[in-house]
Amino acid sequence: MAKAFKYGLKGITGYLEPAERDLLRSLIHDVISMLQPEDRDGQDPLAALIGLDMDVAEPSDRAVKRLLPNVMKDDAGASLEFRQLTERSLRETKIGALRAAALDLDKDEIVLTPDAARHWSMALNDVRLVLAERLDIQDEEDAEHVHLMQDWSQAEDVESYLALVYNFATWLQESLVQAMLQSMESRR
Amino acid sequence: MTLSVALGPDTQEGTRTGTAESTDSLTAPDIPWNLVIWNDPVNLMSYVSYVFQSYFGYSESKANKLMMEVHKKGRSIVASGSKEQVERHAVAMHGFGLWATVEKASGGNNGNSGGGQGKGKRG
Repeated sequence: MAKAFKYGLKGITGYLEPAERDLLRSLIHDVISMLQPEDRDGQDPLAALIGLDMDVAEPSDRAVKRLLPNVMKDDAGASLEFRQLTERSLRETKIGALRAAALDLDKDEIVLTPDAARHWSMALNDVRLVLAERLDIQDEEDAEHVHLMQDWSQAEDVESYLALVYNFATWLQESLVQAMLQSMESRR
Repeated sequence: MTLSVALGPDTQEGTRTGTAESTDSLTAPDIPWNLVIWNDPVNLMSYVSYVFQSYFGYSESKANKLMMEVHKKGRSIVASGSKEQVERHAVAMHGFGLWATVEKASGGNNGNSGGGQGKGKRG
């Protein structure tokens, strides 16, 4: 069983079983593959270099759209314009955090600096956002319903398995964030 | 937002008031854009508070107050400034996975301008 993250003399530490690390690694890689910008032929290399993407569109996949939301609520045109300027670098920020977390999964015992912890919390959050879309968590009631699923022996279909995985990621992120808040408190 | 463990007593809304909140008289003309954070059922309350504290440098009590406002009212204005400033904040919030939008401060028809800088406390 994984141990909750905690804050102590060594910084923020946690422990995951090999199977749990494999699970997290594959979830992280799924999210990375959703965020990887497509390589399009004929794209202006200079534009790509400075992060511009004039061919970008609002994502059709709900989970991707949750990761890369519109910046204005009722103005699709202005949101699209903003995407052209910022979406590529936002994807790269997210992929950077996800990759950093995946690298830390190579050891049983996880020891995190404040920066690494921030990357982990962002990565776990994105993993949870994607799982939540797949589980169709739309409101607090749906979230409660999924939260009730805690027993791995009940996992009999894809949905219950996903719910258990979501709850595991939630538990792990909550313990990490509590440790990060403690660490922040002690540095004040 | 979601809560997976019990919160401590100091995360209750309105148990403490910091000096940062005593800005009721601040008026809008020179701060024309707002950064709005929306509630969603996935982001952890602790994480949202952590983001407000670490990114904006808000005190724990201010961060928790804004977080509770997002949770209870569905949205909260967490920062104001020039369009460029709030857009930069919005990208950072999206990086953290929070659901953020920007809007003109004098939008008028959004029905909820509680919280955020210069708006004082409500409820």
